[in-house]
Amino acid sequence: MRKLISFCILTGSVIICLYPFLWMFLSSFKTNREIYQPTLLFPENFEMDSYQSLFSEQYLPFYSFFSNSLFISGLQALFATLITAAAAFVFAKYSFRGKSFLFGVAILVILIPKQAMAVPLFDWMLWLGLQGTSWSLIFPGIASGLGIVFFTQVFRKIPNELLELAKVEGFSIPRTFFLILPLVAPSLITYGLLHFILSWQEHLLPLLLLDDENTTLPIALSKLRDSSHRIPESVGMAAATISLFPVVILFAVCFRKMKTALVHLSLS
Amino acid sequence: MVLSQYEKGSLFWLLVPFFGLWVLFWLVPLILGIDLSLQSPTFTAPHREVIESTGTNPPPFYLSWNLPENSEVIQRDNMKYIGLQNFSNVLEDAKFYKALRNTLIYVLGSILLLIPLSFILSLCLFQLSKFSRGLLVFCLMIPGLALPGVLSTLFYLFFHGRTGALNQYFVVPLGFEPVNWMMDPSFIMPSLIIQAVWRWTGLVTLFFLCGLQAIPNWQWEVAKIEGAGKWLLVRKILIPNLWHLALFAMVFLVVDGFASFSGAYNLLGGSGGILDSGLLLVTYVYQVAFPGGSGRFDFPGAAAMSLLVVPITALLLFIILQGRRRWVLR
Repeated sequence: MRKLISFCILTGSVIICLYPFLWMFLSSFKTNREIYQPTLLFPENFEMDSYQSLFSEQYLPFYSFFSNSLFISGLQALFATLITAAAAFVFAKYSFRGKSFLFGVAILVILIPKQAMAVPLFDWMLWLGLQGTSWSLIFPGIASGLGIVFFTQVFRKIPNELLELAKVEGFSIPRTFFLILPLVAPSLITYGLLHFILSWQEHLLPLLLLDDENTTLPIALSKLRDSSHRIPESVGMAAATISLFPVVILFAVCFRKMKTALVHLSLS
Repeated sequence: MVLSQYEKGSLFWLLVPFFGLWVLFWLVPLILGIDLSLQSPTFTAPHREVIESTGTNPPPFYLSWNLPENSEVIQRDNMKYIGLQNFSNVLEDAKFYKALRNTLIYVLGSILLLIPLSFILSLCLFQLSKFSRGLLVFCLMIPGLALPGVLSTLFYLFFHGRTGALNQYFVVPLGFEPVNWMMDPSFIMPSLIIQAVWRWTGLVTLFFLCGLQAIPNWQWEVAKIEGAGKWLLVRKILIPNLWHLALFAMVFLVVDGFASFSGAYNLLGGSGGILDSGLLLVTYVYQVAFPGGSGRFDFPGAAAMSLLVVPITALLLFIILQGRRRWVLR
């Protein structure tokens, strides 16, 4: 009886989570008239027009938006992981004067998200001459408070003996940090992936900071669906389907490591 | 560990990249924001016209010595700092309260629905074998991987509407009248909350599942020997062990909820929906500051509004973190 109930709950929720995306994928082959009937799953005949017009860049320079998104999110995730891990390593393992002050100050980043500072950030980027370039999006995302909290917990689990051994061997502290990094690879991957997803989904900052020619996918998607309905809905559906690929592939590859890291972390 | 003077110097190189970026791209914008929030909107708005007409990059802050002299608009109205006027304007703005109330409903509603739902789901998943467990969590997480814009597009085309999936599969079979999700003011917030739940349930379930796997075996065995009932199991083993993860999830949801913009922006096209009943804080800040909304270009007002949200988020997070001691001490 209990098995049955839990089976029903699970299948129900998995269907709710997957079915709309199946519908979305199949809708990229439909005509507008078919899309406006939400209960219809399969199109009458599979038209590839939407993908064709998307890739021939009839409405938007889709390739450059896509590669821009990849570039921004990838670099941001890479830098954020390395840099916050370095700072968190120091916080977790060494003590020095002013440490708790610095730690508290780093945590403040969580409290005031960068979206709340969009307006002055816009001003500041204008002055720095970065406004409109991809860098204006990459830099503000790197200093992440969530990363500091996460990696501090991770590095606390590394035994001190290891650091002492490194010291005896005469390694400098930065060198020790790079030697320890492979030991926490699952955590690095987990955080990098989360950061990648969050910056992949970012909407407000690219809308303000980037030039129209090199915006990112979220904005391209909302442009494809503007209120005038000039563009067939299937093109939007095709773009949405393609935007899902990089994250799902990355996620599928890293899923194992991610679970290891999370189980490890909650064993405290 | 105890460090020599030389080693303390080398710590510097690990901290500098983070704090360098922190100062440049967090602290400076924050200070600029505070400065901006004290300025007169009629001063900064013409100032912006000057920027656009001349095309030069002005310094982000004007002190008395670098004020541009040639612009007549600025000479017309050179009251620059107006004290806390912007803040009191915001506090008198009925729309701000509406946005604040909506955001609070959004955050609290999604937390109250999400945490129990993911808790139940993770318990169901925990009974399964490792392989199918992973597979199903992966499926549940797919909405969280999609762009929020995609989710709201799907919501618009697939779920909402008289013949939409929500009405056809859930509302009508239960014997209710079909709900007009987007046009009925009282259903816009619920539909935004449904989207948030749909989006994050998988992630929170994964957290809880990992927490369940980490519960040491002896706790289950002790409970078995003692012959503990189900309710006692939940109260004494499950909740204390998962409490930290639940708190982490709540903090994440609060931060994400207060910053959420994309879903509502796509769904409502940058407006607040009918009667502003779907107006969220960030959407309103965007409306005040940039065209597409009202086009007021009221940068100082927007900055003041952003700063007023900070104590509210802080208070909410503080309350959540108070719960940390509660359960753990028992």
